[in-house]
Amino acid sequence: MIGIIMFGVALLMLMLGFPVAFTFGGVALFFGIFAEGMDLFAFMPYRIMSVMQNTVLMAVPLFIFMGVVLQRTKLAEQLLSSMGRLFGGLPGGLAISTILVGALLAASTGVVGASVVAMGLISLPVMMAHKYDKRLSTGTICAAGTLGQIVPPSIILIILGDVLGLPVGDLFKAAVWPGVVLIGLYIVYILILTRFKPETAPAMPADPDRSRKQEIVSALLAIIPPLALIVVVLGSIFTGIATPTESAALGGVGAVVLALIYRQFSFQMVWDSARDTVKVTAMVFAILIGATAFSMVFSYTGGDYLLEEWMLQLPGEKWGFIVLAMLVILVLGFFIDFVEISFIIVPILAPIAEALGINMLWFAILIAMNLQTSFLTPPFGFSLFYLKGVAPPQIKTTDIYKGVLPFILLQILVLAMIIIFPGWFGMSSTY
Amino acid sequence: QEKFTLRMAETWGPNFPIFGDTTKRFAENVEKMSNGRLQVRIDSANKHKAPLGVFDMVKAGQYDLGHSASYYWKGKVPETLYFTSMPFGMNAMEQYAWFYHGGGMELMQEVYEPHNMLSFPGGNTGVQMGGWFRKEIKSLDDLKGLKMRIPGFAGEVFAEVGVNPTNIAPGELYTALERNTIDAVEWVGPALDLRLGFQQIADYYYTGWHEPATELQFLVNKKVWEKLPQDLQEIMRIAMRTASYDMLVHSQHENAKAWANIKEEYPNVQIKQFPQDIFQAMYDANKKLLKEAAAGSEIAAKIIESQQNYLEQSRAYTDISERAYLNTMAEVE
Amino acid sequence: MRWIIKLDEGLGKLSNLCGWIAIVALILMTANVFYDVITRYVFNDVSIGMQEMEWHLYSVVFLFGIPYALRSDGHVRVDVFYNNWGQKARAWVNLVGALLFVIPFAYLIGTYGYSFAIDAYQMGEGSGDPGGLPHRWIIKAVIPLTAIFTATAGLGMATFALRVLSGEKQYEEGHGGEGLA
Ligand code: NA
Ligand code: NA
Repeated sequence: MIGIIMFGVALLMLMLGFPVAFTFGGVALFFGIFAEGMDLFAFMPYRIMSVMQNTVLMAVPLFIFMGVVLQRTKLAEQLLSSMGRLFGGLPGGLAISTILVGALLAASTGVVGASVVAMGLISLPVMMAHKYDKRLSTGTICAAGTLGQIVPPSIILIILGDVLGLPVGDLFKAAVWPGVVLIGLYIVYILILTRFKPETAPAMPADPDRSRKQEIVSALLAIIPPLALIVVVLGSIFTGIATPTESAALGGVGAVVLALIYRQFSFQMVWDSARDTVKVTAMVFAILIGATAFSMVFSYTGGDYLLEEWMLQLPGEKWGFIVLAMLVILVLGFFIDFVEISFIIVPILAPIAEALGINMLWFAILIAMNLQTSFLTPPFGFSLFYLKGVAPPQIKTTDIYKGVLPFILLQILVLAMIIIFPGWFGMSSTY
Repeated sequence: QEKFTLRMAETWGPNFPIFGDTTKRFAENVEKMSNGRLQVRIDSANKHKAPLGVFDMVKAGQYDLGHSASYYWKGKVPETLYFTSMPFGMNAMEQYAWFYHGGGMELMQEVYEPHNMLSFPGGNTGVQMGGWFRKEIKSLDDLKGLKMRIPGFAGEVFAEVGVNPTNIAPGELYTALERNTIDAVEWVGPALDLRLGFQQIADYYYTGWHEPATELQFLVNKKVWEKLPQDLQEIMRIAMRTASYDMLVHSQHENAKAWANIKEEYPNVQIKQFPQDIFQAMYDANKKLLKEAAAGSEIAAKIIESQQNYLEQSRAYTDISERAYLNTMAEVE
Repeated sequence: MRWIIKLDEGLGKLSNLCGWIAIVALILMTANVFYDVITRYVFNDVSIGMQEMEWHLYSVVFLFGIPYALRSDGHVRVDVFYNNWGQKARAWVNLVGALLFVIPFAYLIGTYGYSFAIDAYQMGEGSGDPGGLPHRWIIKAVIPLTAIFTATAGLGMATFALRVLSGEKQYEEGHGGEGLA
């Protein structure tokens, strides 16, 4: 019960505006000492050490560095505005380009912190400069940056594979279509929205001196170098030259090389980019450390046993079980980290699902889709904090909260589609 | 009568098959045998977040008990290496005989004593497989420059014959092997390997030599142990011994089942054995490394000598019993 | 008040030193990972020591980065109310938060992190993998060391808040980490 009260208190404290990371840490501190005594915090060095040795998270500073260099050298702007120009008079071009670049990043990493921040750095300034609606911009970036969870390779699928005892390769394959459909729906949503409200996403102004054909050619030429960089990063993964994490370093070095080619390079530029990267990285990891203190207090005060009890109350009939399980995960995702959910909740649900004859592969994809949503759900969605951390001051937390809502609804829609029509995604709900 | 609740940290994740079942069975047995006077609460890696901190946490008393593998502490206390399994060493039967009757337990206690802990055998995987390879290994030359995920002492032996041991985060292992970032992966055996899906991306499954009898361990904080009344200590002792035996049997059962599954569903998978020249080179490398270790530490020298003497004597009998029987079976089948 | 200003400026310099260390570590880490990929792919050579150096550097980046970001206000806040408040109200939030949350939290991590590192030192802990790095205590000692810097950065947050309360300083709008994008 202490865990539940702690969530409430943390929520209130967050509203005061003290840094999120230390609010988590501080609230955990008071509840932890009160319930278990100081010595509970002897576990903290181990938890910090486990973050230090989690080399997959190295992708966070590396991708951020790439993003900052691309932003400082204006290459990101060039990529996105040229992509936007290809859409001609169609409004929403920048937003669609953002989704596409986000999908490319998602295919190269499964680390949400890395891609949300990188996307924030790359496309938020461009969208702001072109008078995009704040909510549409931030929602698009959070959603695009979070795609890395469902688009393989993905950490959540690897964890679920481990917890459910399913081969990772099968999970990766099964996640491809849901990912593609989700990306498609994001784009369709932007097209529809901008058709009715073009002022939320103005089309890129056409250059009156040039024909459409000239414009397309020059846009394509401008896209090539930054796109080549992304291809190098992705290519190095697909050909096995680098692991997804390492590819992020190739991206960083590649961005510096591009800067050299475009005569944007200076040691000052590299130093300043590194400084920005350190700041944003520290922001992301401070949240991770604060959150791990929080989840430590939650579970050592019996929160995990409480959750376990709740889970065992779920109905023993297939559709009732699926719907309620999904609802519970969605609601828990508002408050609890996806790794905790995978490790605490999923092992309890798995045997029930198995007994009901549910196809575990399908079940795993449902959970993954659902957990991806938890990154976006206010108030504790990590993607929201990450984007806020790099956004200019005129963008308020509430803008981001409201901006992601349509995208959350789209994710729930896809989730419902996979539940009702698994065949569309090449799966079946039973064996 | 006084009741005790002991907290155990295990290196494994929640519901990790076979390994996790072992600790659960142990906890159940302890509770039943003591009529509820002794309870064990198990925290898996997802809770304490320190799979490789179990040693330190039990030592410091943050946990009363631990379940892990002794060779994980090689970087902290080099002599802990020898109580899990050694390349070209004893098989499970021989090793258990060494622990319980051949002086192994006493040597293990000597190593753990200074760290305020007791260590007991904690379950065996049986012979571990030699790993998944994307290409067939036909000669020593094929091993040269091969990038393989193989940690610890076996990695050192492999390095001696020209392999490049490589670190890959567990979450990226599958992708790294699939895309040839690395050429080979050593994991455990069919039952646990199957879950990671290596059979989908690597055709050659090599037989084992490096961990012929991987023994897990129970760790007990010494102060906690001394506080327990004698009957509960005895109950713990028996429950730990039963848990070890159960795990060996369980491993055999699950591995056989998983292997049948791989054979049927993945006809691409071929079982291979390294050629003789490779084994000979690794055997020599292993000897050399052990010699170096023995020269560097008195207690290591004592353990290595004890193990080698015991292996010699025990193997001579295995040869005329188990091996002779298996040879006979091979002839008639 | 004079000594508070002096103290605050000193603490600010300390945090900037942390930032400098983190920036250098970031550049080294990027080069380190790049080097490892190239040597593995082009020269088919792997060094576990160099691979371990990657996470050592990466840890230095974020652990030293945290006190730096604290000084430059790089840590994300929920600004539903905060941005509408005046300078004094914000100063109170930061003063109380620094004293009740940051400093005690860092203190506990520092205390327990100290025995964590000392234990590794006494055992002479190193990597258990072939060719791995020795002296694990060094990287473990970064935990208590940066906890001290985080505590001093927290103290700096408090002294800065006092300066704002006295009217001598002002919080900038959207300063620091915010507005990178
Ligand atoms: Na991904
Ligand atoms: Na959430």
